[in-house]
Amino acid sequence: MKVLVTGATGFIGRQLCLALATAGYEVRALCRDTDHPYLITHPNIEPVLGNILYKQTLARAMDGCEQVYHTAAMAKMWCRNPDDYHETNVTGTRNVLETAKSCDVEKMVYTSTCGVWGPTIKHPMTETDPRITGFPIAYERTKYLAELEVQQFVKQGLPVVIVNPSRVYGEGPVTDSNTVGKMVSGYLKGTWRFIPGNGEQVANYAFLDDVVAGHIAAMSKGVMGERYILGGHDISFNTFFETLQLLSGKKLDMVRIPLKLIQFYSQLEWLKTRLTGIAPVFLPEFADRLKYDQKYSSNKAITQLDYRITPFAEGLSKTANYLRGLKNNDLGIKDNESRDSINPIHQGSELNQPAQLCNN
Amino acid sequence: MQQLTAIVTGASEGLGKSFAIELAGRDINLVLVALPGSGLPELASFIRKNFAVTVHHLEIDLTHTESYAEIFTWLKEQHITAHLLINNAGLGNWSWFEDKNIAFYKMQIELNVITPVLLTRLFLAQADASVTSYILNVGSLGGLFLVPKKQVYGATKSFIRYFTKCLQLELYGSNVKLSLLSPGGINTKPELLVMNNTLKGISKATVLEPEQVARIAIDGLLKGKKEIIPGVVNRLLVLLNSLLPAYIKDNIIKRRLNTILVS
Repeated sequence: MKVLVTGATGFIGRQLCLALATAGYEVRALCRDTDHPYLITHPNIEPVLGNILYKQTLARAMDGCEQVYHTAAMAKMWCRNPDDYHETNVTGTRNVLETAKSCDVEKMVYTSTCGVWGPTIKHPMTETDPRITGFPIAYERTKYLAELEVQQFVKQGLPVVIVNPSRVYGEGPVTDSNTVGKMVSGYLKGTWRFIPGNGEQVANYAFLDDVVAGHIAAMSKGVMGERYILGGHDISFNTFFETLQLLSGKKLDMVRIPLKLIQFYSQLEWLKTRLTGIAPVFLPEFADRLKYDQKYSSNKAITQLDYRITPFAEGLSKTANYLRGLKNNDLGIKDNESRDSINPIHQGSELNQPAQLCNN
Repeated sequence: MQQLTAIVTGASEGLGKSFAIELAGRDINLVLVALPGSGLPELASFIRKNFAVTVHHLEIDLTHTESYAEIFTWLKEQHITAHLLINNAGLGNWSWFEDKNIAFYKMQIELNVITPVLLTRLFLAQADASVTSYILNVGSLGGLFLVPKKQVYGATKSFIRYFTKCLQLELYGSNVKLSLLSPGGINTKPELLVMNNTLKGISKATVLEPEQVARIAIDGLLKGKKEIIPGVVNRLLVLLNSLLPAYIKDNIIKRRLNTILVS
C-alpha cells in the first residue's frame, strides 16, 4: 500500500517513515530537499520533492496514495516572519486536506500537539477538556486553527484522525523542535546547568517510538474526527534531571533560576528582537508558561488504540545513549533544516537553550 | 466566610470560559449558562475536577427570554442564592450594516441588550440584602468610541454603558456593587485569533488574552470599581478620548474608515 508522509525530515516524520517502510508500506516521503541529511534511506522509502505550500507538488506526491500522514509543521519557538506559522501550519494543512479530498485518500492522520490544550491546573488534560488560557504562543495558536480546518473537512466526509503528541523525546536528530534532545545533549556536554523556578513544574514526555506507533494505530483504529493524546509520563524538571543524572552517571550542579528573573530576562530579549531583529533566546510568552504544569492523559489512546507508554527512565536512557553516539557524528548536532529562515534557536551559542523548556 | 455563587452567561467559550475559571480559582461556586452544544458540560466537568467548587450548568438559548424565570426558579428550588452575576453573553460583528440580515441584528440586540437588563432585574430580586452582591456588565471600548463596521454592536454596548452607570447611581449606598467592564480587543474566537495577530503597533497593544481580562475584571468587581478598563494602552486611549477635541477625533475615524474602505 502506498502512503504519503509529509514532514519526512522532521523529528516524528522521519521515524514514522522508517516504521512504515519496515512494516512493508511503500512510503512516499515528502520533503523540500530530497538530499536532506535527516531523510532515512530505505528501499521502501521514496523521497518526493514537494512543499505543502504548493498544491501542485502535493497532488503529484499524493497521486495513488491510499493513506496520508500529515506531520509537517512549523514547530520552532520563533520565526523571523511571524506569518510563517500561519502559512505552514494552517494554510499548509488546508492544502494537504484539499489535495487529500481530490485524490480520494482513504484515510489521513493529522499530527497536532498537546499544545492546543497548553497549561493544566490540577489533573492531566483529556481530549474533552477545554483550553484554559488564550493562545499567545504562535505555534499553539496555529495548530489549534489547523485542527479547526481538519474538522471542516471531517464534516465534508474526509476521514481524518487527529493525534496530539505531548513533548516528544527519543532517538533522533537534535532539530529545532526536538526540545528535549537539546536539553539532554546540553546536559551531557555539561552546558545545560539550570532548572527554572523550583523545578517542580511538570510536563508530559512522550517517547518517539510510542508516538510513531500511536500514529500507525490511529490510522488503523482511529475514529474519524476524533482526537487522541499520544503522551507519556508527567515528569517535573527536578525528576527529569535526577533521572538523567542517574542513568548518565554525570553529575552537574544545577542552578535554580527564579521565574521572576526568567520573566524579566524574556522581556529584555523581546525588546532586543524588536529593536535589532536578532533572534531571541527566550520570549515572554514562554516565560509565562513556566508558571503552569502541562500534564496530559493518554488514556483514550491506551484504551482505543492500544497505545503503549515506554517507562521514562528507559526512554531517556535510549535517548541519552543515542545522543552520546551522535557526538562523534556531525549529523545530529548541525541543523540544516532551517533554510527558509534564519535558525532562531540553534545559532551556535549554548546560551539559547532556555526556549526548550516550554513547548510540546 | 460564606461560599459565594456566581452566574456566568455565555460561559462555554472565550471570555465567559475565562470568567468561569477565574471565579473557580477564587473558590466561588458557579452556575454556568450557555447555548446547547457549545461544550458547556465538558467545561463544567473540567472545573469540578480541578477546583474545589460546586458547578451547575444550564444549556439555555438566552434569546428566549421566557427561559430566564426558569433559571431563577431552578436556583430557588436548589436553595441557591446567587451573589454574583456576570452578564457576559453577547454577539459581536465586524461587517457593514447592509451585510447582515435583520434576524442577525434582532438576535444581537436581544442578546446584548434585553438579556443583561432582564437578568439584572431578576438577579436583584433574589439577592440577599445582608451580604454584598456583585453585577458585572460586559461592555466594550466600542461603547465609547465610534467604530465603523461595529454600528449595532457598539450601540448595544453604549446602551450597557448608560444602563450600568445609571443603575450605579440608583443602587448607591445599597449592598449591590455594579461594575462596567470596557475591554478593548480580546483574543477569543478563531477568526479574532487570526485577525488580532495581523495587527501592529498600538492596535496590537490594545488586544489582551481572555484570562488577563477576566482576572482584572473580577479584581475590579470585588473592589467595587465603577468602570474597569483592562490594559494600560486602553486606559491611555480613553484618557486621550476625553482630552482631544471632537474634530480631531472625527478626522482620525475618517482616516481609519478610508483605510478600511480600501482594504
